[in-house]
Amino acid sequence: MTHSPQARPPIRRFEEVEHTADRALRVCGRDLAELFANAALGMNSLMRPAACGRPSIAKEIELEAIDAESLLVAWLSELAFWAETESLVFTHFEFFGISATRLRAVASGDRVGAFEKHVKAVTFHNLVIRSQAGGLTATVVFDV
Amino acid sequence: MAGTRGFQKIGEFLYEIPVSFREGMRVPARFYADDELAAAMAGDRSLEQLVNTATLPGVVRHVLAMPDMHQGYGFPIGGVVATALPDGVISPGGVGYDINCGVRLLASRLEAEQVAPHLDDLASAIYANCPSGVGKGGQVKLKPGELDEIMEKGARWAVRRGYGTEADLERTEESGCLAGADAAKVGARARDRGKDQVGTLGAGNHFIEVDRVEHVADEALAGRLGLSPGQVVVQIHCGSRGLGHQVCTDYVNLFQKAVRKYRFELPDRELVCAPLSSLEGRDYLAAMTSAANYAFANRQVLAFHIRRSFEQVLAGKVKNFGLYQIYDIAHNMAKIETHVVDGRRRELCVHRKGATRAFGPGSEVLPEVYRDIGQPVLVPGSMGTSSWVLVGTEGAMAQTFGSTCHGAGRTMSRHQAKRSVHGAALRQELEAGGIHVRAGSLGGLAEEAPAAYKDVDRVVGVVHGAGLAKRVARLTPLAVIKG
Repeated sequence: MTHSPQARPPIRRFEEVEHTADRALRVCGRDLAELFANAALGMNSLMRPAACGRPSIAKEIELEAIDAESLLVAWLSELAFWAETESLVFTHFEFFGISATRLRAVASGDRVGAFEKHVKAVTFHNLVIRSQAGGLTATVVFDV
Repeated sequence: MAGTRGFQKIGEFLYEIPVSFREGMRVPARFYADDELAAAMAGDRSLEQLVNTATLPGVVRHVLAMPDMHQGYGFPIGGVVATALPDGVISPGGVGYDINCGVRLLASRLEAEQVAPHLDDLASAIYANCPSGVGKGGQVKLKPGELDEIMEKGARWAVRRGYGTEADLERTEESGCLAGADAAKVGARARDRGKDQVGTLGAGNHFIEVDRVEHVADEALAGRLGLSPGQVVVQIHCGSRGLGHQVCTDYVNLFQKAVRKYRFELPDRELVCAPLSSLEGRDYLAAMTSAANYAFANRQVLAFHIRRSFEQVLAGKVKNFGLYQIYDIAHNMAKIETHVVDGRRRELCVHRKGATRAFGPGSEVLPEVYRDIGQPVLVPGSMGTSSWVLVGTEGAMAQTFGSTCHGAGRTMSRHQAKRSVHGAALRQELEAGGIHVRAGSLGGLAEEAPAAYKDVDRVVGVVHGAGLAKRVARLTPLAVIKG
């Protein structure tokens, strides 16, 4: 399962919803893999990285969690960690296995010069992954 | 919970939501506001979030919110929640990700007129010497083991390294070093994020501001703090950087399991918590304390760089350019404190998330120099408006577990602020008002526009009127430095 901006699904991948102090995104996907990929792209849009080139760096990511919401927070926290510590922005995601409690993926991206915004953390605030017609949706609140 | 249904006005500036409001509330929820601020609170989800905190196991007396309250995640920003030892809970979400985000106030012996010709250079020097922006590393290179020392010794580590004086420590909450830190409870990722960020400002709402004492509200108290009209002072607002953010991330994640283990039913997963007597609770407290000490060290190193900037720019041009510390306070913290509840002294864990400790006169934990007047409280306003210096009161001890407000409080989302305010135009507007601006990101500047915040004078008016703090002096900005 590969998810990249080129393989755009026919649904709105993410949109920002109002939050007084921080930033929140409503994310959609036809399945967990697409939801997670779209959430990552949505988080990139909040960080506003300087222009990044073609994917030249890949990281293997394996995560376990107690449920799908925890797994989503762990996934985004992982990517935010690489953004802060190595200025990496991932734009392409290949999932080799994903369930509600476990994922194995390769994230590909590039190093960028700077980010305009800092995502300090990914929160669990009112986080529920819901089934809806055509797939899954979740609203994620980011501490910025 | 938009609207005013369910809350009752029980004092001139105090409202209460009774336990009957919602099933699961263990204590009433109280908040401080005037009519206009109460209406603003009813416009977002902050009151619902406050009510949620009233369901936490072991919560004591009532949960509280300050007049700068606004919507956060889990706890509202501006929330104060006390739980009783030994079995009450501690919640990482009740402290937030920026552990020991706080404010330090330095004062000069200079008048604004003396500094005016050099302000532009001063703003540039501070911007150059205090690294800011996303993920920016600092100039402090740590030796092996030194990060552990920072987490266990806090600002004491910085003073030992030559970044300040004993007088700075005396005028810092907890003398810049909270007891009970255990760096072994801080994970590898938090260490990675923190290892090169000591002495950095970061981004978001963090800033350094050169201010002028514009108005003194209480001459006697201002004199005791060393403040006088026209004087140049400097505020530093920042916290524990990536290290603190990761400590919170790690423990919020870990506590997702703990709530299942202890069978806590919570209305929001960001409220996850563990009993203070449990291994999980003790580990988080030790890790949070370590991150808090890192933040004290961070502000101490930033103060050093600001002093260096004053020297670089002003030496040979004006005399007495040195900066002395007024105080340094935390506004995101959970601390074990003793308070009188129903006539009995009790050991409590007081969570302050976007709220400031405001201990009144006579408190044994205050430095001798301030013990008879109460703890200085630093309330930064929105960029380009004003900030306040207050002192803590007996009223705060009696009503709010010794707590008061921490800032102006947002009313407009960052998203909305960016849509309605143009960063470049705002910068021009601030500069036209005589404020020198150095900012890494114009988008970030727009998000922090004054229009996105409540009126800090109104917020301070409420805490003063409610007896939660006393007004001492109002500061207005001369230069703003942001990531």
